[in-house]
Amino acid sequence: MLTNLEYRLNFLTDAVLQPAVTSMIEVTLWFALFAGAGVAEINGFGLNAYLAYAIWSAFMARLTSTWMYEFRMAEEIDSGSINSLLTRPFSFFEYYMSQFMGYKTITTVVSLLVPLLTCWIFDLTIIWDRLLPALALVFYYLLVVQTLSFIVATLAFYLNRIHALTVAKNMGLWLLSGELVPLDLFPEGIKNALTWLPFANAVYIPVGYMTGRFGPDLFLRGWITATYGLIFFGLLAVLSWKRGVARYAGTGA
Amino acid sequence: MSSTFSQSPWAIETREVSRVYQTYVKPEGLANSLKGFWKRQHKDKIALQATTLQIPKGQIVGLVGANGAGKTTLLKVLSGLVRPSSGEARVLGFNPAERDSRFLRQISILLGQKNQLWWDLTPHDSYALLAEIYDLDKTAAKKRVHDLAEILNCTHVLETQLRRLSLGERMKMEIIGALLHEPEVLYLDEPTIGLDIVAQSSIRKFLEEYVALKKPTVILTSHYMDDIAKLADRLLLISQGSMVYDGTVEGFTRKTESKKLLRFSLAEPLAAALPIMNLHTLPAGEQNLSLQVTNEELAPVLSKITSLSGVKDITIDERDFEDVIREFLEKESRLLPSRGAHQP
Repeated sequence: MLTNLEYRLNFLTDAVLQPAVTSMIEVTLWFALFAGAGVAEINGFGLNAYLAYAIWSAFMARLTSTWMYEFRMAEEIDSGSINSLLTRPFSFFEYYMSQFMGYKTITTVVSLLVPLLTCWIFDLTIIWDRLLPALALVFYYLLVVQTLSFIVATLAFYLNRIHALTVAKNMGLWLLSGELVPLDLFPEGIKNALTWLPFANAVYIPVGYMTGRFGPDLFLRGWITATYGLIFFGLLAVLSWKRGVARYAGTGA
Repeated sequence: MSSTFSQSPWAIETREVSRVYQTYVKPEGLANSLKGFWKRQHKDKIALQATTLQIPKGQIVGLVGANGAGKTTLLKVLSGLVRPSSGEARVLGFNPAERDSRFLRQISILLGQKNQLWWDLTPHDSYALLAEIYDLDKTAAKKRVHDLAEILNCTHVLETQLRRLSLGERMKMEIIGALLHEPEVLYLDEPTIGLDIVAQSSIRKFLEEYVALKKPTVILTSHYMDDIAKLADRLLLISQGSMVYDGTVEGFTRKTESKKLLRFSLAEPLAAALPIMNLHTLPAGEQNLSLQVTNEELAPVLSKITSLSGVKDITIDERDFEDVIREFLEKESRLLPSRGAHQP
């Protein structure tokens, strides 16, 4: 985590500038969409509701993005720089998980100002009592999504150049999490199925809960799916790591 | 896997340990790249032949060989980085491949061509992190860093980012990082490579004092003869993944017998071949000549050459360590691959 705080501009860009730009784009987009459609509601929700969803979903999506650490883990394995970690008495998984969680905690505290400020400027309403429980769910989900990234990174033990897999995985999560469009826009059956996957905990469930789209039942489902996701991906991660390390050739040193 | 090792008295012990890498063979060209999508050829490369060795506690072993000979592969096997393809290894009673944390706490590997500290952090931050990783007492670790930095004369760079240090300063920082937890077994892979003579000498002197004081078991690889001669109690020569010499440094020196390279020019090319003391013959028609002579031969050969008419530009050079090693390995194994062989 210290390495990420070493460079001020890099940190401020990541924690403040990028969320601010993303929020501006979302606001512009949804204003233009409603103005162009000339309607007050789409699928039963007004501009205010969509804007609140878009602002908070952009924030949550950024919070749950893992590509940077996934890239680093894969690079360590691919380049052989993992050698200096494998010969030390600690776990590669825990090493990266602690960096990831530490960095996310600090950036969240700083970048939370952006959606809060946007809500104040545009008078967007959310259920404020639900903000902290929603963030708690997202932080729980971070364990799942970082474990998934760890699995993708361990594929570097078997294959060279796995960045295309990271991109493909991110595209999938973009859709399944509800970041691209709220899951409410999917047919009911598909929406229901997607809420039984852990990935909806990145955006749709926490943001929907905060913005009052649904009640505690679906929020509780989020904790359940995150838990089985953690168990499932955790087991897969152990398997992939053990097999990967066994075939590792230590290239690059 | 049941072990054939029992209550081993050795710090490091291997039995028939070998490592084979599989590589993908791709002939040149786009057509072959496309063909590689469904049909690939692989070939095995033996990086380490079945090797059996025992190293007692506290011994300093110099491991020497050409590039690609298998030195680093052996260190990787002994540090648990790669698993052997066959055979068994034990270091301090542990199977390195299992990477037991009790084992990892007692070893350290220093790779001279790689940064092992954190590139963006200051050495102080890196050492604090290492102290956490190795569960060291923070105050004791700080004192140890200070003491080692004092000896290495580098206290002034402890608060500068690693990326901003010179190669020599970085290597000193890496050495402190490698020794912070006082490892029982130390693998030093080319610790002085790329450094200038002053930095080489300073690091060599430090390591000499450190091993004399702390008595760790050390395996040292280096292309610099001075590193090996000054530090090693025992020399292992490795060629094409096989051990071809196991003995003392003195024994090695006696066996290879140091030679010198004598170069000179003549005002006119030699009219006819000229024998020198029944040992060498200078070829006819040559004007720039060279001879490899032993220390004993040097004086009489030099006397003979200086008596020739028109002789000039006489120089006497020590042969390069690489050449001595190469000659020795060629003599011993007749198998040495060409220089610059690819290291897997």
